[in-house]
Amino acid sequence: MTLTDGHTFDGESLSYIAHLIDNKDIGIWEYHNQSKELKWSKGFYNMLGYSPGEIECSNNYFFDHLLYYQDKDAFIKATYSPKHDGPRVAHIRLLTKNQGYQWFESTTHRRETGNGNVMYGFLTNINAIKLAHAKSAESELQALEIGRIAKIGLWEIDSRSMELKFSPEVYDIFELSNHIKLSVPEAIEFFLPQYRPLLEDAVNQALTLCKPYDIEVEFRTAKNNIIWVKCRAVPVLDEHGRCIILRGTFQDIDNIKRRGLTLQSSINLLDDQNKRLQNFAYIVSHNLRSHAGNLKFMVDLFEESDLQEDRTEIFQHIKTISQSLSSTMSHLEEIVRMQAEVSKGTKLVEFQKIYDNVTLALQNNIEASHAEIHVNFNEAPAINYVPAYLESILQNFLTNAIKYKHPNRHPVIHIATYKSGNNIYLVFDDNGLGIDLDRYGDQLFGMYKTFHQNSDSKGIGLFMTRNQIEALGGTINVESTVNIGTKFTVKLV
Amino acid sequence: MSSETKFARVGIVDDDKIFRYGFRKLTEIKGLFNEILEFSNGKEAIDYLKDPNNSNHLPDALFVDINMPIMDGWEFNDAFGEIKSQLPKSITLYNISSSIDIEDISRAKKNPLVADYLLKPLDENYLAEIAGNLQGSGDQVNYN
Repeated sequence: MTLTDGHTFDGESLSYIAHLIDNKDIGIWEYHNQSKELKWSKGFYNMLGYSPGEIECSNNYFFDHLLYYQDKDAFIKATYSPKHDGPRVAHIRLLTKNQGYQWFESTTHRRETGNGNVMYGFLTNINAIKLAHAKSAESELQALEIGRIAKIGLWEIDSRSMELKFSPEVYDIFELSNHIKLSVPEAIEFFLPQYRPLLEDAVNQALTLCKPYDIEVEFRTAKNNIIWVKCRAVPVLDEHGRCIILRGTFQDIDNIKRRGLTLQSSINLLDDQNKRLQNFAYIVSHNLRSHAGNLKFMVDLFEESDLQEDRTEIFQHIKTISQSLSSTMSHLEEIVRMQAEVSKGTKLVEFQKIYDNVTLALQNNIEASHAEIHVNFNEAPAINYVPAYLESILQNFLTNAIKYKHPNRHPVIHIATYKSGNNIYLVFDDNGLGIDLDRYGDQLFGMYKTFHQNSDSKGIGLFMTRNQIEALGGTINVESTVNIGTKFTVKLV
Repeated sequence: MSSETKFARVGIVDDDKIFRYGFRKLTEIKGLFNEILEFSNGKEAIDYLKDPNNSNHLPDALFVDINMPIMDGWEFNDAFGEIKSQLPKSITLYNISSSIDIEDISRAKKNPLVADYLLKPLDENYLAEIAGNLQGSGDQVNYN
């Protein structure tokens, strides 16, 4: 005789099963529709903390004293609907003797007997599970709340259906008030074109190779606002290590990013200015030190020397030092003045006019050197610039071209301007000595750097020129070949 | 051996004419060196040292400025390192500069070719000390 002989139990095994069940935390009830007879198992009482008979076994008592009033509907639906394929399981709260309301799972079944319709059901205590659920629901809620406050959206892509789901915050960032469903390619269309391939690659690699990503890109919202967003994604893997869901965050970082970008450009500018100031301070200190050192040297010698002719010569040197000191001072003044000139602002200046001024001032030098100068300002005849700067730039280039002319030929100089996009360029080309850029390239625009043995090289011109150009946001580029000539290309604006 | 050979012959390499004059005058007044060779940049000095015609007329020491056109002090140090072993006598190399930049100073002091880095204006007493040491070594060189 086995327990499962057919589908019915004999009397002895049935009571054994009932005994087993009574000692588990399962309550069983049975209700005869016709006789209205209700039975509760011993386990039913135990589960609630009572002994059998301690409370009245009736529908009224159950509904009025045990079942939590808010769970009535759920219980009735699960109890009476199963014949219509409704839910058979309900989670309900029942009042226990000593522990207040507890959660139970109620499962209802029906069977037909010779005496009519019988309903029966099982109750199990699920309080611990329910509480754990409640806790996790609470933390989920908190996660959503955090997302809302931090403006972080959550999204996921189902790798099989490629269905894309957004949390409300993602729609907020998209500025889509109607929460329409987007496909993955549709969502990618919201990013600025230059970032789309990057994003497509990232999504594909995450789905196929399970590679997480974290990228910052520009995005155009439904309301046409361009903002920086941060997209992070982590693949959720199945037991075979394949990505089943790609899950990620989506964050509006526009403020942070823009602040960061302006900060970076300010830092670069400050860095440049700092380097220039440092260079400047170094040079000033070096020059003043060397003049002051020489002055002391000569004064000491003057005192120690007894010969009149020595004293006369030493005094000549003292005079030279005095002149050098005042010319160093005037260079410093020039640099300070040049920095101040920027604040006067730019105005529309004609290249030809400035050029005429410069050639007038250098007329003697130009004539003495037999320089041949070709100018062409037709492509860009005028520019918004600090007039004093443009004059100084042209004057420096011209002076250098004449000063460092090739000994075997007369200087031939080409000066031209041209436009490229929104920029205006000045090109200055000579056939002079040239500069060994491999050796001096990095020092070319430094102060008091001279590369030729001319007694009148002062090493201030190109230093000033570069400062003026860069102060107005331009750049200077040089190409040169020794004994052939030098070509400066200046992006003025 | 005449008393004159006891005194050293030194070279001053500096583009600053006034400094060269002062160096010559000071050492003359103090009677520190027998002969002063003047070069206005590193290349001039290297060319002089390399020229076989000058092999009997090489300096015992060189005082080389850092900031110079054409070939500066650093470049001279390198070029000197390359020809040093081919020279018929050993030459003590000093760098001189008015630069108080700590990087310049340590760069010169780290170079094993450079005996010392002298700050301008020069310290007379230290110069006299150098002159004294050179006189000793000058005798040795003559016997070699």
